[in-house]
Amino acid sequence: MNRQTDTEFTPKIVGFLCNWCTYAAADLAGTSRLKIPSTFSVIRVMCSSRIDHNLLLTTFFKGADGILVAGCHPGDCHYGEGNYYARRRFALLKKVMEVLDIDAERLQLSWISAAEGHRYAEVVGKFTEKIRELGPNPIKGSTRF
Amino acid sequence: MISGEEERMDAAGIPYMIRPGKGPEGSVLDLLGQLIGSGGADALLLPFRVPSGDSFAWIMFSDVSLLKDAVPFPATMPVQGGRALRSLTRKEKGKLRIIALMRPCEIRAGMELSKLGQVNTENLILASYDCPGAVKLEDYVADPVSCDSAHSEMRSRGEPSGNARSACSTCVDFSMVDADIHFGYFGIKDGGMLVLPGSPAGRALLEGLNLEEGRGLLPQWEAEISRLAERRAATREETFRETAERISGFDGMLATFSNCIGCHNCQSACPICYCRLCYFDSEVSRTDPEALITAAEKRGGISIPPDRIMFHTGRLAHMSLSCVSCGQCSDACPVSIPVADVFSFVAERTQRAFDYKSGRSDGEALPLRRFLKNELDGVHEMVKDAESEASPNE
Ligand code: SF4
Ligand code: SF4
Ligand code: FES
Repeated sequence: MNRQTDTEFTPKIVGFLCNWCTYAAADLAGTSRLKIPSTFSVIRVMCSSRIDHNLLLTTFFKGADGILVAGCHPGDCHYGEGNYYARRRFALLKKVMEVLDIDAERLQLSWISAAEGHRYAEVVGKFTEKIRELGPNPIKGSTRF
Repeated sequence: MISGEEERMDAAGIPYMIRPGKGPEGSVLDLLGQLIGSGGADALLLPFRVPSGDSFAWIMFSDVSLLKDAVPFPATMPVQGGRALRSLTRKEKGKLRIIALMRPCEIRAGMELSKLGQVNTENLILASYDCPGAVKLEDYVADPVSCDSAHSEMRSRGEPSGNARSACSTCVDFSMVDADIHFGYFGIKDGGMLVLPGSPAGRALLEGLNLEEGRGLLPQWEAEISRLAERRAATREETFRETAERISGFDGMLATFSNCIGCHNCQSACPICYCRLCYFDSEVSRTDPEALITAAEKRGGISIPPDRIMFHTGRLAHMSLSCVSCGQCSDACPVSIPVADVFSFVAERTQRAFDYKSGRSDGEALPLRRFLKNELDGVHEMVKDAESEASPNE
């Protein structure tokens, strides 16, 4: 079996994007021909509050280098209050990972509206850069998980 | 913990006392018998020794002649009382008015479950007592007789000893909690006991019995409880310091849970784990064999079954806000992993982050079921001038 030995690290990032805002922003970024790293995989969810801890943990433990959760700005959730609950849940998972000291910084929550195509490209770009600096998810290189 | 005396008396009324004579156990059973006799309740839920002699079981009954065989302060905690309350009231309030006598952590678990809609306290009268700690199940099964005497020793000193669970040595909520009635006996001479109403319902019940006023015993009891709480708090700090060192980072998690056999006993014994079907026991959580092989090829190897660390991390994320640090998970673990030390340590931190304390009946909803519009600013990535750019959807 051959371990990855490439010199240039390209982070694999998964984005959980809310259908009503950030997913539309991603679309807009696409039609505006803005540059999005090809290793950024998008999963469309109906609301940021759809995202359960286990969804994020599974992504993380399967080896994603970074995870972006993005939804509507506070006050703009299509379902009224979903993103306020999502923010609490996200904060809790971050806290658990922080206390255990297992790379909480690989998770990011952002608010990106449907009109913010440029901001979407910028957030994804900056996050990718940050993860590149952090290096690969240590789980990926371990045989023990 | 004891709240301010005045505050408590306002809410619940004056404390009563029972004079020395029968000792705390006898006095508690007497009083429960009187409550049933006076028609204050229909049934009791109490621990009894099982026929094999090496454990205890919850029995619900209304025939007071059975009382003499009950063990009000059992040495171990085989089924967490919160779970017993759930069995009785998970669908609706109980048809009978039941008085349940339990350890403080069992009542705290019941409070969390009631916030989750899995326990209905409306027809329950919850009674707690000063708890010196529970003996590890493993030790008890091996030698019930000497463990019983060790436990009675613990009761007279008010402190956990060698074969108590680690969770008990680090517990600071071992006395009065948000119960309807509390029996306080730590620090009271010659087997006398305080009977403290903790709610209007508890007060109403106690008022019907001809009990002696017990204010005079309060100072010695309170002094003893705070002395013991300080000692346990010190042990807690020490244990948490060791735990922090042990679990830190991926390597720490791996080392701590390296001998986990994936039985999920910790989750099924936990009174809080509230999902009807645990995600980690469900079909969707199982990784496809193909995917395991691919992962093994990429990583150079993979642990089978996979996801043990994810299981514990996921459980922490799901339930640590409600963890009552009862120690049940450690007791249930067949390979002696200090699960409760880890969970209590993390729980203290997650609860603090949400300014929440599990186990109270203050009517406060669980942290994940409420929110403030302006909060947790540091959690999401900061937006500089998005406000001007942002436009509403649709
Ligand atoms: S995680 Fe362990 S200590 Fe916490 S409530 Fe569940 S069984 Fe008790
Ligand atoms: S009880 Fe122990 S061995 Fe079983 S899953 Fe929990 S930690 Fe692992
Ligand atoms: S609909 Fe977008 S966050 Fe709820």
